[in-house]
Amino acid sequence: MDCVEGNNFFKKSMASSDEKPGSTPVMGPGPTLPGKATTLGSKLVDTGAQMLQSVKPVKQMNMHACTFALYGHDLSRQIETHHFIQRVNQDFLQCAVYDSDQPSARLIGIEYIVSDNIFETLPPEEQKLWHSHAYEIKTGLWTLPGMPELLQDPEHKSLTKTYGKFWCTWQVDRGDQLPLGAPSLMMSPQAVDIARVNPELVKERNSRYGVSAGDAKESRVEMDEPEWINPNADYWKQHGKGFAIDVVQVEMEGTGALI
Amino acid sequence: MIHDSAISLTRHTLTYIIGTTVTQESQFQPDKWPGPSLVLEEAPVLSPLHETIREAHVVLYSLPGFHIELKDQRERENNQSHIMATSHVDVPGEPTETGTALLETATGAIQGFQPINSIHEHLCAFHFYADDMTRQVEAHHFCAHLNEDVRQCLIYDSPEKDARLIGIEYLVSESVFLTLPDDEKPLWHSHEFEVKGGYLFMPGVPGAVARVDLAKVCKTYGKTIHFWQVDRGDPLPLGIPQIMMSLTRDGQLREDLAEEVEKKFAVSFEKERENRKDMTGPDHGIHPLANAAGKGLKTELREVDIPPATSMPRIFV
Repeated sequence: MDCVEGNNFFKKSMASSDEKPGSTPVMGPGPTLPGKATTLGSKLVDTGAQMLQSVKPVKQMNMHACTFALYGHDLSRQIETHHFIQRVNQDFLQCAVYDSDQPSARLIGIEYIVSDNIFETLPPEEQKLWHSHAYEIKTGLWTLPGMPELLQDPEHKSLTKTYGKFWCTWQVDRGDQLPLGAPSLMMSPQAVDIARVNPELVKERNSRYGVSAGDAKESRVEMDEPEWINPNADYWKQHGKGFAIDVVQVEMEGTGALI
Repeated sequence: MIHDSAISLTRHTLTYIIGTTVTQESQFQPDKWPGPSLVLEEAPVLSPLHETIREAHVVLYSLPGFHIELKDQRERENNQSHIMATSHVDVPGEPTETGTALLETATGAIQGFQPINSIHEHLCAFHFYADDMTRQVEAHHFCAHLNEDVRQCLIYDSPEKDARLIGIEYLVSESVFLTLPDDEKPLWHSHEFEVKGGYLFMPGVPGAVARVDLAKVCKTYGKTIHFWQVDRGDPLPLGIPQIMMSLTRDGQLREDLAEEVEKKFAVSFEKERENRKDMTGPDHGIHPLANAAGKGLKTELREVDIPPATSMPRIFV
């Protein structure tokens, strides 16, 4: 580890998105969440709050999409994701990402989606953190559960040309019972062997939602491919490198120590 | 021609009535999700028939001279005076097109939103960057209980419709926190000071009701990650995630920010402090590793090797 003596600057990586945290009683087999069931008292406070407070920003999310994502540092780790999406304007969407669509779903991250117009204005250093969506939409990996395929069309036409930036804060697929470690950058499925989603996962998802893969592909195969996908996106494709995030200890700027 | 269909979506008992002289709005509230209302003009009265959504879709877009006005019921909620976020910068992009908006009103009515329907609580607090205490952000948490000991929150920069989704926070009880690995604990912060200090509050909820829950929050630990650095004026979520921390003692919170929030939400931190005198923090005291163990924390991006892409992309079967 680098150590700059003069400034008393000590650098230690406390957590990295591509490393497994040390074992702990918390991490056991299966996805059991530690803690007690929600008490009646909490539910009552919740109900009270619900009646008195408006959760306006949350109510703006009006689309649910189910798709698949890959860990940016290990494309073989693939997860089914549930995006709850708010369209901010024609070029930008913000999504809360969960691991299921049930009331017990765990919040596992956030994805932002921008149009190609916006993407082109980003500096290259920023672009490499983003992934393209054309493949996952055209192949029907991305679907809006409960919506007939025809109704999904207008949305998909505009989404095929978009790019996404998806940070995952809870690695549920490796059995973490709590959100541990540094956030991970996620990537999207692509038409390249290591980035294709395991067909079993897709089949199970499709049968759960009554999605016929055939239908999706038929109506979407006619969709225009984006003429060009920016090569800075899906960085691993051109460069064979993924990204991990490290959390390192530093001296705090500002008015002194936290404790 | 299918111009006289009424569509019944039994799941949410939402009916699109096409081709009627209905001039008042029909309002539907499936579950707790406000639905769209349709105002239809200039068409003959016809009896409702059950048809597929596919056909309705065709009708909506193909009838000439047919006026559809789709009002989102959410627009008609009580209009609070618009409260500007501290550093409001417009998100770049064109206004949403009608076709897109229409489709999304349909998805809003038809699809299920259970994970976000569980979000029942709004907390306002202050976060600062774990490597720079001078950069402070007003953070609106919209929280759901996963169970009694664990909550998950979406963080926005304001409580308004145009709020930007800037981060996530998880809250856990002390007993759960203590089970975390020692390398993990520094990423979490305590809530005792900001709750007892009155700086963390529930907008719109009378103090006595809020304090029931806040007494619990007082004993919890949180892990907060922000993805959008709105305080430095970023128009988009640029860069890498930032670990955030919360107030742990006097003198940290910027006075101008404190005053601004007090004014906006008509609260007094000092008064709340009085009311919360008897609250207690974690039973075992604040863990020495929490709050970054007294240091700063910074995130860094690192490139890692992954296996090379194999040559021929295959058509997805």
